[in-house]
Amino acid sequence: MANRDRLWGVVYALPALALVLAFIAYPLSSVVYHAFTAWDGINPPEWVGLENFSTLLEDPLFRTSLRNNVLFALSVPIQVTVPMLLAWLIYERVPGWRFFRSTFFLPAVISTVVVGIVAQVVFRLDGPLNALLGSVGLGALQSDWLGSANTSIPAVLLVVVWANFGYNTLIYLAGMSALDPALREAARMDGARPLRVLFSVIAPNLKRVMELVLVTSTVTAFAFMFAYIYVITNGGPGFDTYVTEFMIYKQAFALGRTGYACAIGLVLVVITAGIGFLQIRVLTRSPGI
Amino acid sequence: MGASTLSRRRRGAHAAVTVRRRERWKWPVVAGMALISASALFPLYFLVSNALRTNADYAGAKVGLPTTFSAGALERAWEGASVPTYLRNSLIIVVGTVILSVLVATFAAYSFSKLRWTARGKAYLLVLVWIAVPPLILLVPLYVQMVELGLFDTYWSVILIYTAVNLPFNTYLMTAYFRSLPDELAEAARLEGASVHQILSRVLLPLARPALATLVIFNFLWVWNEFIFALLLLPSDETKTLTVGVLQLQGRFNLDPTALMAGLLIATLPVVGVYLVFQRYLVRAVAAGIGR
Repeated sequence: MANRDRLWGVVYALPALALVLAFIAYPLSSVVYHAFTAWDGINPPEWVGLENFSTLLEDPLFRTSLRNNVLFALSVPIQVTVPMLLAWLIYERVPGWRFFRSTFFLPAVISTVVVGIVAQVVFRLDGPLNALLGSVGLGALQSDWLGSANTSIPAVLLVVVWANFGYNTLIYLAGMSALDPALREAARMDGARPLRVLFSVIAPNLKRVMELVLVTSTVTAFAFMFAYIYVITNGGPGFDTYVTEFMIYKQAFALGRTGYACAIGLVLVVITAGIGFLQIRVLTRSPGI
Repeated sequence: MGASTLSRRRRGAHAAVTVRRRERWKWPVVAGMALISASALFPLYFLVSNALRTNADYAGAKVGLPTTFSAGALERAWEGASVPTYLRNSLIIVVGTVILSVLVATFAAYSFSKLRWTARGKAYLLVLVWIAVPPLILLVPLYVQMVELGLFDTYWSVILIYTAVNLPFNTYLMTAYFRSLPDELAEAARLEGASVHQILSRVLLPLARPALATLVIFNFLWVWNEFIFALLLLPSDETKTLTVGVLQLQGRFNLDPTALMAGLLIATLPVVGVYLVFQRYLVRAVAAGIGR
């Protein structure tokens, strides 16, 4: 019986191992190698040692890109707290909770392409947002929202927070649905106010879920911003809304500086690996592992 | 005894006050949530209302309801984005990826949760450890790799990549779900003579429906909406996906905004439909997935 497990255990795990090794580990090793080369993606790469990395340290565009990733990460506290509050209100069955539960996830369902293009249209100088501001007498606030870094980064940030809050709310809801209902009832019976119930009873029991949301939101700010930037601002105005991923893409596919792009990629992986290490610890800390 | 009655009465009074207080803050909060719901529905409203009006009407009023009705934009988008071909490509890729992803993740999860073998902990980590690798940094080497494998501009190129990059999370979710099912189930089936394969197919899988539904919906949405790998690996009209097709309508925005909206609408309806069908499973399966 144990022998049978041993054989089939390996066989059943094999396809997954083969796929991640072939299409993640192997290309990743190629990124690591090419990070130390001058390579245009076509001609044979030439070993240059640490040159790409010293260029990187001096590159103002890299600094802008990384700074923007950090700016996007500043939204993480909002992404952790607001969805928890929303999930709790749904959990408390406020009037209309079923409707809220269905609609809150919609932004996460709709493609980034769609979200991005709609956002771009909404924020245009002649778009609906400015039309709305004008029609309610707030014409002074009208602005070319994506036309300057001061407003375009907050605008993209708003879109990302909006696009992801449904996911986070869903994760909190799942966590709450697994809580012992007696906890809340007991606190209620003792006359605790709803907000107190949330902070003193529900939140402490959702620590693991909060950690999960914290880590995934942080990873998103560094590793999953490309689609939003590509569709909404295309890095502009100028280079103001570049993020690290977008810079990698441009260096590799527009400028033919593929080796340099790999070096940036390697730095990004080191950053996300640090966060990812935390993520795996959070994910696997459940009993039985 | 008197004291306890008194305290009970006081508690009752307190509860009544609490209820009243709750009522008072409830309505502003519900109004706030309704506002958030409205924002979540806004893109759909925006797409539907603008896809069905004329360009002249759109130019006149960008926020309000359409004053004209026209299916012209839908027709122009349908042809401009070669919807029939691109839709077919998207469906083949989505269905292929979802099937492959579910199979591979389920097999691996079965191995990591219910079969006992020496290196399984390490093997599980070896699948999980890629969870935070940004897929975008792999774009160049995967492009080269697909050209070398002769898979460039074929459905298989993206099916394999999509399956691989989502495998860490998929495997994690399935493994957590299988672990939440008691080992006694598999043990009992084994004593009755079920084979290793029958335990998976007849005992575990029927119980894993919420987790399977979650895998289907998450992967369907992700693959349908992905456009970077699709854009670079599937350049020809014969293999292009619908999401990439409507992305390319963006260039025509200034000329024909309503056709762009119509294209976006056509690309959005399938995912909204899938979400509506599968949403009832979501909370339950995610609850199992986060290990509670």
